[in-house]
Amino acid sequence: MKQVSIPSGASLTALYREWVGDYPKFFKMDTLSKLGFLLTEMLVHDEPDRFTFREDRAVLVFSREGCIANDRHYAESMQDFPSPALFVYTLPNIVSGEISIRNKWGGESSAFVLESYDEARIWALVRQAFQDKCTQSALVAWMDCKSDTEWVTNAWLVDKTDML
Amino acid sequence: MENLINELKLKVIDALNLDGMTPEDIEDNAPLFGDEGLGLDSIDVLELIVLLEKNYGIRLASPAQGKEVFQSVAVMADYVAKNRAK
Amino acid sequence: MTKVYCIGCGLVTPVGNTPAEVLAAVRAGKTAFRQYEGWPEPYYASLLDRSGFEGPSFFDHIVLQAAQAAVQEAGIDASSARVGLVLSTIKANIDKIDSEDVSLAAAAETLAKSLGVTTAPVVVSNACISGLAALLQGVRMIRSGEFDHVIVAGAEVQSRFIVTGFQSLKALSLNPCKPFDADREGLNVGEASAAIVLSAHADRPSWEIVDGAVRNDANHISGPSRTGEGSYNALRYVLEGVKADELAFVNVHGTATRYNDQMEAIALNRAGLQDVPVNALKGIFGHTMGAAGILESIVSMQACDAGIVLPTQGFSRMGVEPAVNVSAQERKTDKQAFVKLLSGFGGVNGALLFRKGGAR
Repeated sequence: MKQVSIPSGASLTALYREWVGDYPKFFKMDTLSKLGFLLTEMLVHDEPDRFTFREDRAVLVFSREGCIANDRHYAESMQDFPSPALFVYTLPNIVSGEISIRNKWGGESSAFVLESYDEARIWALVRQAFQDKCTQSALVAWMDCKSDTEWVTNAWLVDKTDML
Repeated sequence: MENLINELKLKVIDALNLDGMTPEDIEDNAPLFGDEGLGLDSIDVLELIVLLEKNYGIRLASPAQGKEVFQSVAVMADYVAKNRAK
Repeated sequence: MTKVYCIGCGLVTPVGNTPAEVLAAVRAGKTAFRQYEGWPEPYYASLLDRSGFEGPSFFDHIVLQAAQAAVQEAGIDASSARVGLVLSTIKANIDKIDSEDVSLAAAAETLAKSLGVTTAPVVVSNACISGLAALLQGVRMIRSGEFDHVIVAGAEVQSRFIVTGFQSLKALSLNPCKPFDADREGLNVGEASAAIVLSAHADRPSWEIVDGAVRNDANHISGPSRTGEGSYNALRYVLEGVKADELAFVNVHGTATRYNDQMEAIALNRAGLQDVPVNALKGIFGHTMGAAGILESIVSMQACDAGIVLPTQGFSRMGVEPAVNVSAQERKTDKQAFVKLLSGFGGVNGALLFRKGGAR
């Protein structure tokens, strides 16, 4: 089971240039989506047959704060000219959507909100997600993004066999 | 008109987070949408509608009208010059 | 695999507060839609009556009311260590973003405390499919063997935040929405809360959630797939081994936006469901977001029990290609199974298969 994280406050643009470089949609994403996108790249960059549509991998994201950092940006914009580009990121599951789109993963994608970081609970929920007979592996991430410069992240790539 | 075109290019780059692009990278008559040109999508159209209202007091009725106006920066500039309220 | 039954339901809607009342309202085509002043643009919506309410949070109030009704009907002890809680919502208390902890986690803790639930709650927030995904999560918790009962509650209240956002996406209609109709022009937002108690045991014939699936289009965060990819894949998963003629109907998302309804038509046809009756309830309730999956499932169970396929309010002329079997009229059915289908931002799609089961 592989695990990665991104230190709070790190330059996400620098990480993008280091790990990706050819996906300009990255710059349209909110900070939470950028984090999920980069964590996933760090986990799967050397996998064979990348970008081939697959339904057997789930994307399961966890947090306490959901997408609160971007919610605040949208709430500010709605005072005069509500921004559609900000509004579409006011959902905790847009990050799992961005990961699915980038990687062409058509399996389950779900966002869960928990009271606090609790690995035992995360793994219990991941184990339950493997009840879907299609799911053979999962990208799992705890991403708690309080603002555009403060976050806690941990991401794992797990196989069904790791969960037995 | 040339000033307005340049101004629009800067505003488009800023509003749509077009990383690393400068006004010189956008041709006046290049299509903004579709596979050629900038390859913008449906959310970008909506964000450009906001850009027109915020900066020039122009309210477009629908995204369909937006696609007409946003064919290229030159077409956009022409529309703004004729319809601006501020 | 453990069977999972629905043993209690609760509802708070603008057209009724019990499943029977709500079913009667839907059959009669009763709605609560009207135009409201916006910020500044007006909007057309189905909202709950807040007159007389004085508590700190209307969201917390309605979600508790629905959950309590469900717990009461189920007759369970919510404080048992084998009772779980799943909350489904998209924005919960977002209207207080400037002053309070508006996290979904805080809303779930408040609900758990008020219900007396002693296990830690989980929130499923998967955009517009949240209610359906939350029910699936409840099913999985029971099948894990760790819970005997799971309370699944969902709610949404409307606010400047949500309404101006959908206005900026040009997705709202200023007229009653028209699912699958040729002249559909967008959705109406709605308020409601709904709850179901799921259980591994039922002492009388009850609705069973046979299985469910969530699938991503892997295409776009706000535009539905042109091929209905995720919706089709979710349908394919839940319908494995099920014949189309076993289904009374498919209760679809049917938001009445041009792209959503067209996408669902493609997915239904790809899944071989073009002849199965299809209906959408957004013409009665509007889009109730975090409540939708649970509310629309409860109404569908009620309708099936009454032997009917509910009409699709707002539909009159086929507006999708290929066509689906949608109707503005109520129809009869003697079948005892249906599919609930939803789609949402983030490219998510979900399907649940319901079947009336024996006592166990």
